[in-house]
Amino acid sequence: MNIFFHLCWRNLWRHKRRSLIVISSVAVGVFAMISAMGLLNGIMEQMVDNTINTALGHVSIQAKGFQNSLRSEYSFIPAETLYTAIGRTADSQKGYAPRIKLKGMARSSASSRPVIITGIDPTKERSVSHLAEYIIPSTGSFIERADEDTVLISKNMADALELSPGDNIIIMLQNTRGELTAAGLTIKGLFTTPVENFDRHTIFVGLEKLQALAGFGKKISEISLTLKDRNASSAMKTALMLFVQKAGLEVLTWQEMAPNLVRSIAIVDTMMYVSFFIIFITVIFSIANTLVMAIMERFREIGVMKSIGTEPRMIFFMVVFESMLLGITGLVFGIAAGYTAMKLLSIAGIDLSRYAQTLRAMGSGSIIYPSVRAFDVFMATAIVLITTICAAIIPARKAARIEPVKALSYI
Amino acid sequence: MAIIELNNLIKHYDVNGLSVPAVRGVNLSIGEGEFAAIAGPSGSGKTTILNLIGGLDKPSEGQVIVEGNNLAHLSQKELSDLRLRKIGFVFQAYNLIPVLTALENVEYVLLLQGIRREDRKTRAASILREVGLEAEINRFPRELSGGQQQRVAVARAIVSEPTIVLADEPTANLDQKTGESLIELMHHLNRTKNITFLFSTHDPMVMDRAERLMHIIDGQIISDVRKHTKTPKPASSRKKR
Repeated sequence: MNIFFHLCWRNLWRHKRRSLIVISSVAVGVFAMISAMGLLNGIMEQMVDNTINTALGHVSIQAKGFQNSLRSEYSFIPAETLYTAIGRTADSQKGYAPRIKLKGMARSSASSRPVIITGIDPTKERSVSHLAEYIIPSTGSFIERADEDTVLISKNMADALELSPGDNIIIMLQNTRGELTAAGLTIKGLFTTPVENFDRHTIFVGLEKLQALAGFGKKISEISLTLKDRNASSAMKTALMLFVQKAGLEVLTWQEMAPNLVRSIAIVDTMMYVSFFIIFITVIFSIANTLVMAIMERFREIGVMKSIGTEPRMIFFMVVFESMLLGITGLVFGIAAGYTAMKLLSIAGIDLSRYAQTLRAMGSGSIIYPSVRAFDVFMATAIVLITTICAAIIPARKAARIEPVKALSYI
Repeated sequence: MAIIELNNLIKHYDVNGLSVPAVRGVNLSIGEGEFAAIAGPSGSGKTTILNLIGGLDKPSEGQVIVEGNNLAHLSQKELSDLRLRKIGFVFQAYNLIPVLTALENVEYVLLLQGIRREDRKTRAASILREVGLEAEINRFPRELSGGQQQRVAVARAIVSEPTIVLADEPTANLDQKTGESLIELMHHLNRTKNITFLFSTHDPMVMDRAERLMHIIDGQIISDVRKHTKTPKPASSRKKR
């Protein structure tokens, strides 16, 4: 196949400028695709990481039915064997922490708000979430003991309820007996996470304090685990499944706990790929035009090739291969430029502080660190190959149908 | 034994709705190993006959039988295969592939035959050596003289060891000395490899060197002479081009 490759490759360079224009258009298209996807990936990854780091965790062990209801009847007492099983996966995890999550109300003298009251073990929580880091230092500090009469609320909620650190806040909830219970707790600190929606509805209380308030005893709602590798959540689920099933519990991955987030990423990805496919349809015409001109110029030569025994399908394949070479050359330059640019920007980050409010509403920070996924490179390659093959079909058929006797008399 | 048979061959072209006859009832039989030429003025039908024999064109009526195969019964793929393995072509304008070197141009035919790379290179280099282009194998056609390009074309035509070479006015673009040298080369290949050569020509030197000479006028063979001895005319008797 060596000569065939040489033949196709050298044919491209008969008209350098013409081929370079096509290659450049493919390269610019691929560069734009890699860059746009890199930027979006950066935003999406921050959305995922922030959601995981605020309260979701990578994997959660909980009773079946808890995820969609947050009801107290789905609480459970974790057996020692469960902790032993979790301990066996220590190599893959950053840490684990027990939590209680209950629906309730937060009230001040000025206003009230529906909230999710989350009971946390202050020591263990530091290993699974970034909550301690999200505390605004000037407003106070993180919870120190699990039984203290304090609460952490967001800056957003403090403003809405017109409360300040050190003030009392009333929290109301339904205990395990179905009775409404309330307690006054002191605001120990205010936090701001990158996920605006989370801040609107979540408050944190010491685990033991909440167990006492809700009549949970030693029960908890879930054990949240954070992993070293986000993509290992399914493997961790499989590893833990056997132990938790015996206890009537289930293991949920972050994808299962935040399906809307996963769907959003898939929709954005699909929209981007469709957009790029549409953009590359314009490239089809550019390549097809180049190929038609090239074939007209080589009309006689193709006739000679057929007259010495070249089969029409080989002529067809030659034109398709030339088109693919144009596309692949542009693809290589486009990927190289796009990847290099995104790699450099991923170190420095792109400051989008101007759009911080919008990004925070999406759950992302305002400094974006672009990230190029192997899948995006694969998709760029697939789109370019498909478009270049499509572009070549009509010119290639035209070339394959050239009649040698007409071509040989063509001047 | 006839390697090419033309039976009542008729070909007419449709030009602006008018039927223009190019070949009118040609009957011809060419035996294996012949060194024959069809001579005649421009437009007399020489090239059309070669194209019909090579399966590049289809007759309006009559039969073309090559090595026992009636070309009318062959598919496009079978015709391609016949041209690839049995018939070599040499054109007036050389018609080499400009982006391939001399070696690659010759090797290309072997690639089509599915021959392994090492064998291809060896055979192509050997044929080029045989036609006297050992030093030029890595040159592109634009770096070769007209005579050298035509020798590459001859090498390309015979590398697949065909039984027939159809040469359409092969000396028309060459000077006298180069043309003579080329015909001598072809004659040598005819004798040593027993390849049947059929030329179309109006070059007196080619007519003189042919062992069989057919004259065609207005699409009809008007004479068919077999010569048993060859006495090349002095170079000075040829027309300068």
